Amino acid sequence: MTLFWLTLGFGVVTGAVLSLAAVGLSLQFGVTNFVNFAYGAYLAFGMFFTYTGQVGLHLPLWLAVIFGVLATGVTSVVVDALILEPFVRRGTSGFFLLIITFGLSLVLLNLIQAIWGVGFDQFQISASNPVRLGPFSFTPAQLAIVGIAAATLVAVHLLLTRTTLGKSMRAMSDNAPLARATGIDTTRVTRWTWFLSGCLAGLGGVTLAFNTVEFQAFTGNTFLFVIFAAVILGGIGQIYGAMLGAVIIGLVVNFAGLVISSAYDLDAAFAVLVLVLLLRPQGIIPTLGKA
Amino acid sequence: MGVVLGYVATLGVYFCVYNIFAFGLNIQFGYAGILDFTVITFMAMGGYMAGVAALGPSQPGSGIYYILGLSLPWPVALLVGAAAAGALGYLVGLIALRRLRSDYLAIVTLAAGSIVLGIVSNSNSLFDGSEGLVGVPQPMNGVLKLTPNAYTVFFLGLCAVIMVICWLVANRIYRSPLGRTMRAIREDLDVAEAYGKRTFRIRMTAMVIGCVIVGIGGVLTIWFVTALAPAGWGTSETFVVWAALIVGGRGNNLGAVVGSFLVAVLFNEATRFIPAISSLPNLIPEVRNMSIGALVILTLWFRPQGVVAERKARFFEVPLRTGSLEPVPMVPAPATGSGAAQ
Repeated sequence: MTLFWLTLGFGVVTGAVLSLAAVGLSLQFGVTNFVNFAYGAYLAFGMFFTYTGQVGLHLPLWLAVIFGVLATGVTSVVVDALILEPFVRRGTSGFFLLIITFGLSLVLLNLIQAIWGVGFDQFQISASNPVRLGPFSFTPAQLAIVGIAAATLVAVHLLLTRTTLGKSMRAMSDNAPLARATGIDTTRVTRWTWFLSGCLAGLGGVTLAFNTVEFQAFTGNTFLFVIFAAVILGGIGQIYGAMLGAVIIGLVVNFAGLVISSAYDLDAAFAVLVLVLLLRPQGIIPTLGKA
Repeated sequence: MGVVLGYVATLGVYFCVYNIFAFGLNIQFGYAGILDFTVITFMAMGGYMAGVAALGPSQPGSGIYYILGLSLPWPVALLVGAAAAGALGYLVGLIALRRLRSDYLAIVTLAAGSIVLGIVSNSNSLFDGSEGLVGVPQPMNGVLKLTPNAYTVFFLGLCAVIMVICWLVANRIYRSPLGRTMRAIREDLDVAEAYGKRTFRIRMTAMVIGCVIVGIGGVLTIWFVTALAPAGWGTSETFVVWAALIVGGRGNNLGAVVGSFLVAVLFNEATRFIPAISSLPNLIPEVRNMSIGALVILTLWFRPQGVVAERKARFFEVPLRTGSLEPVPMVPAPATGSGAAQ
């Protein structure tokens, strides 16, 4: 029974990491209407910019995380403005945009490896005793992950519902030509979306690295299809669905690791992906006209 | 002299094998518009199954474990490998091709590839885990008793014959009613469906035929290298095949050949012979992968149809007096009344 509660706790932590990454992917998909296959590289950018901030620039960890997250957001905007936006403006179909982001993942992941090396790195976090909360037991890093995720998701919710930018994003997500017709500067909103998506990917990457302790350039990329599974489970382009999907996938992955074997825990996410595509391809919260 | 000949023959073998991969992907992507982002998984499946079909039973004391071990003759092993790749393609297609959206399809293929890679790497009893298969017997090597370089030349001949057969098959499919339907589905799935075409079945046919051809290329790969390990078939290898097809020109097999020569031979294989810098052993593969990714993006920008463009069939069209169905451009077009496009 103890094991059950422990696994439930770890499932929530994995779900928190996933929800950050899944919301970032889903937000960008909703606005631009194509999947970013290079997203795994953005997770890696988050990890390594933070690592540089802590080890290279000697920043305290919290400041290094902020630096890493913002730098990933800027990278995301630069990549969009230089490479993706010209293709979109030319009217390249989503079909070819997928190939372009797939190629981009190869470019960016190898660039990261060339800059930061192939070995495993880890953040300098002082070791401390696990914290017991009722039947659960967490490391302080895991508690921080859940806290960061909860705060970030509330902030994203407020951004989307209370600000003009957030409302413009939702308008573009519903109907981009109509949003443009009502006078929304769609180029500006698209760039802000890429910035936000990059920041969330960076934060997802950093929290993933906290959770796995050691990380290297491809750590985020092996996690990519688990993020896809969460996004599709929640309904592609749906922010709140992505959060829900992430928590479900996080729990499934951890319980599969407990019941089957930790070597095959990610396969459980694939099983969920397959079941969703066979039984409810529109996801938990369907998007009209998107599936 | 023998060394130079062996080197040229080695590049020739890679050329033939990548041609076969590109033909397989061309049937899936170029003909039917299926985004198969895990081509290399089917190559691995073909190679592994042909390997375990040709190898003798796994010896308990050797520390190398694998399934089957049937000691079959090489032509039968080739069929086993091709069939296994086709069967895996069918399974992936069952999930991926149900949905209309191309992004779901791409996600499922990518996820399936990473799952197969994970299972093969983690399971020691399947194909000896991350160590991979070694010592796979080469066709007729025991009978011919040639020097290694001379055998490479013989093997090049075998590859060339198989490649030409694959080319003829792929071209035959292109001209057949089946190939025409595949291209109709690629252009517009809904229209093809409205004309009563069974789009799911036809896309599945393209998927399976493509996987079988890629699997044949995988069998040739494991024969040539005599070994195959999970490190040899990552996502970047899939992208080499994609780059070959995009650069050469998708939808036509001549383009696939040109692309395989430009990308897989000139660009990819030739750079393997550049000596590595000892302090940065990974720099050359990293730069190569980045360049291949950039090559695809640049090709799609400057020459989206590839070096050899597909010759599209032209029909007499009644000029339509309706607006353009193209996606709305980012810059608002001046209102012109009736659309003059097409």
